[in-house]
Amino acid sequence: MITLEAQPDEIYDIELEHSLLEANAKLAKENRTVLDQHGITAIDFMGAIGSGKTTLITKMVERLKDRLGVAVFNGDATTSNDADAIAKQNVPVVQIATINGCHLDANLVGKGLRKIELENLKMIFIENIGNLICPAEFPLGSKARVVVVSVTEGPWMVRKHPHMFLGAEIVVINKIDLAQAMDVSVDQLKNDVHKLKPDIKVIATSTKTGAGLNEFEKALLAVSHGK
Amino acid sequence: MRKPKASGGIFCHSGFVIPSGFVIRISSFPHMHELSIASGLVEKLLQFTDENPEKKIVEVHLAVGELSHIEEEQLRFCYEAITAETPLAGSALEIEKIDAIVVCPHCSYRGRPKYWDGALSGIPIATLECPNCSNATEATDGEECAIKSIRFTEANSVAK
Repeated sequence: MITLEAQPDEIYDIELEHSLLEANAKLAKENRTVLDQHGITAIDFMGAIGSGKTTLITKMVERLKDRLGVAVFNGDATTSNDADAIAKQNVPVVQIATINGCHLDANLVGKGLRKIELENLKMIFIENIGNLICPAEFPLGSKARVVVVSVTEGPWMVRKHPHMFLGAEIVVINKIDLAQAMDVSVDQLKNDVHKLKPDIKVIATSTKTGAGLNEFEKALLAVSHGK
Repeated sequence: MRKPKASGGIFCHSGFVIPSGFVIRISSFPHMHELSIASGLVEKLLQFTDENPEKKIVEVHLAVGELSHIEEEQLRFCYEAITAETPLAGSALEIEKIDAIVVCPHCSYRGRPKYWDGALSGIPIATLECPNCSNATEATDGEECAIKSIRFTEANSVAK
């Protein structure tokens, strides 16, 4: 509805309710519909560069690929190192190079979905760009969002980037084998996350020792089963 | 280009097989998220000026939610940069902050969120913890970023 209102000095105002986030949100919904139709659960991984997203995804692919169809969408600003590393697992990998862009958006993920055959897939891991700010604003159509933080990022990661956690369902605190060396308290990071969002699932992991990986795998399967 | 591996494989819609372990690459143009938002904004406004060439936009009112990730200064910077060579050049961006409102499914609280004071030495952080019963709330307001209204002059009515 448009209302025109004349102003004394011939300046006019138009009410124009137009959401700037809607275009992406709409595409995210379309992605979700396509995924749901094929019975695929997409999970979006967000976190800083070096937090361990790629290694964590690789570990989960290793565990799941023989039981269910897994594919990985790998967002990376310029390089294909991560995509190549995951491709060694012999699963379909779509690399989405954002060329210095700071986040994936639903349009890029939708393009990826159109590039691959979805028939035999059950799970798609979407690795977002290593960035704790921008991706939060752009849903992709995933069923759950995972934020990966590692103890090597210091004790204040959660407090410095609260928005990222508000929109997530699972938080992984990674590299806990290094917590002592870093003098960072895993419990304090957990408490910080729960202070922001009381019902969020927090899992402490180490891809080196394998700690927490069973629990993380279970959490991903629970998302896939709609729990 | 690496050779496709022999085992496994998935069919592409265009008909040929993309083997498992073979990487498909998709590229996009550079943008930071305020730039994405500003681009969407400018696109919408230029659509208006294209359809109404006699009108000149002088002011744009935006509503930006407290819980959105949008940095006002960066958004202004991007807006000015993109509009520089367009009919929108020189138009003012008015940004209204929208307060966050949360609702609690456990105790039916509805209102401002609980803030975490002293989390860092800066400003308090809005949380999703219910101020009333400490369970998890959901945000109903404060995540938006929308054009509320635009102000324009008729080109032939502008003096000078």
